[in-house]
Amino acid sequence: MPNSSEHASSFAEARFAALLDAAVDAILVIDSNGQIETFNRAAERLFGYQSVEICGQNVSTLMPDKYSHAHDSYLQRYLTTGERRIIGIGREVSAMRRDGSVFPVELSVGEVATGEKRRFVGIIRDISERRASEQELRQQQERLEHVTRLGTLGEMAAGIAHEINQPLTAIATYAHAARRLLSSDRMDAVRLDDVLGKMATQAERAGQIIERIRDLARRQSPSQELCDLNAIMDETLKLAEVDARYHDAPIVVEMTPGLPHAWLNSVQIQQVVLNLLRNAIEAGGAGTKLKLRTYARSKEELVVEVEDNGPGVPESLRTEIFNPFFTTRTDGTGMGLSISRSIVASHGGRIEVDAAPTGGAVFRVTLPTALGEIDE
Amino acid sequence: MSETGGIVFVVDDDEAVRDSLSLLLESASLQSQCFASADEFAEHYQGGMSGCLLLDIRMPGKSGLELRDWLDQQGAQLPIIFITGHGDVPMAVDAMKRGAIDFIQKPFSDDELLQRVQQALESEAGDRADRAEADRVRANFETLTPREREVMQQVVAGRVNKVIALDMDISQRTVEIHRARVMHKMGVRSVADLVRLASFLDK
Ligand SMILES: Nc1ncnc2c1ncn2[C@@H]1O[C@H](COP(=O)(O)OP(=O)(O)O)[C@@H](O)[C@H]1O
Ligand SMILES: [Mg+2]
Repeated sequence: MPNSSEHASSFAEARFAALLDAAVDAILVIDSNGQIETFNRAAERLFGYQSVEICGQNVSTLMPDKYSHAHDSYLQRYLTTGERRIIGIGREVSAMRRDGSVFPVELSVGEVATGEKRRFVGIIRDISERRASEQELRQQQERLEHVTRLGTLGEMAAGIAHEINQPLTAIATYAHAARRLLSSDRMDAVRLDDVLGKMATQAERAGQIIERIRDLARRQSPSQELCDLNAIMDETLKLAEVDARYHDAPIVVEMTPGLPHAWLNSVQIQQVVLNLLRNAIEAGGAGTKLKLRTYARSKEELVVEVEDNGPGVPESLRTEIFNPFFTTRTDGTGMGLSISRSIVASHGGRIEVDAAPTGGAVFRVTLPTALGEIDE
Repeated sequence: MSETGGIVFVVDDDEAVRDSLSLLLESASLQSQCFASADEFAEHYQGGMSGCLLLDIRMPGKSGLELRDWLDQQGAQLPIIFITGHGDVPMAVDAMKRGAIDFIQKPFSDDELLQRVQQALESEAGDRADRAEADRVRANFETLTPREREVMQQVVAGRVNKVIALDMDISQRTVEIHRARVMHKMGVRSVADLVRLASFLDK
């Protein structure tokens, strides 16, 4: 039987092709140059190309520009060095349809070595829907965060109102005084200029408080930036101290200077710390003594601690308090710590509560530094 | 506005509020002195100071109410006008329960503030004058002999000489002599004036 092996192999190939066409996921095979050899039915449906027209073309045709340039070099590097960027790993990338539209896919690539020839099999799954639901979840989370943030601001409202009332009082009083002095001819231009300057300063002071509230109230997409944790704490304190002063709950600040930087969303981290300070004031009442501390536990970990000398959290509740809706306050929502925990988790960190030496509570937030991502 | 010579002591932790208040007081030709905390004022405080206090009810450290309690213990006679904010209603109510108190809410109307301050200064000046008079009356009273004091009590009680003489078992003439000495030593000409002075002795 002269052509039996050839026959057998073409039979095997036909079976293989049938198998590929039956697969739900898009599957394609490329050679070591990136040329497409096989393109299954699902791939045809997904990308809008016919197998016959796409086979023989470079796989980068299926990628948006920003990937397509890099792809050839990835392939080359893998072939020469064996360095894996994607082979055998599988990751989420963007793909491009025939009509040019880009969509998210999960790509896993396997290597098939048959004799001399190296080939790569790519399995592609459309994850637009999964992405959409993930995004929806994230949006829901954001909305919840937003609401909690506003709730925290609401809890701080009395202190904030008091704080804004101070400069307003000063402005009104300066104005009344200046008018009286002017009408009795006891105010010259130099003096008036001085008083007007003071009024302007007070107006700016009121404006700054409002600006800080607006920053926090504004909805923000959770983007993380490389930042200095202490700088975020400084910003947080400007608002927190308004509340703390109002409740006569002084904050002792112990920040370790020169901390390694970290990838942080500053508004979210502010929210977490405001939450913790608010809870401490709420638990301890007027006259509570608060401590805000930052330090590096190691090169990899930063710590923020909020300590109070209030009643503390009983050992039996130290996990439960982080659950959504857990509250012991009549006007509580029970969302503060739950949101704080998910924010910290999205930063790759963790949050826990312990007993403070004074018998109060100490909440400890641990966050990873940017070590390894930047060389300083 | 009348001159009382009193000083308005402004105690508020907010520098701008203090500064603007002292300017407003100056515009009404009132003297003021500013303090950034209750403790700062307490350190400065001396018995016999005259004037009134414009006192922030809510301050870090010792609160305005605590300062008032401290001043009470010192026997201070300075009237206090409390400065309150919107959120301080419960505090104000609490303060009222502990005695009648004057309040003014931030931000102030200038007329109202100055009027209250003026009233406080005048009432303090009046009290001060009363106290000075009481001191003088008491000093004069000290110079009376026991007999003269007894005669004075009877006169103030509205008794005529004849009744007093019978009661004290002395002659009417002697009563007249005592009575003249009392009037002289107490520095008054009429019984009505003597009655008024006697009221200071009860205090
Ligand atoms: N510093 C603290 N000291 C004592 N208990 C605390 C402290 N912080 C939080 N808790 C407890 O955790 C509960 C949940 O807090 P949180 O999630 O912020 O919700 P809420 O503040 O609305 O109750 C609080 O009701 C309180 O019982
Ligand atoms: Mg809370």
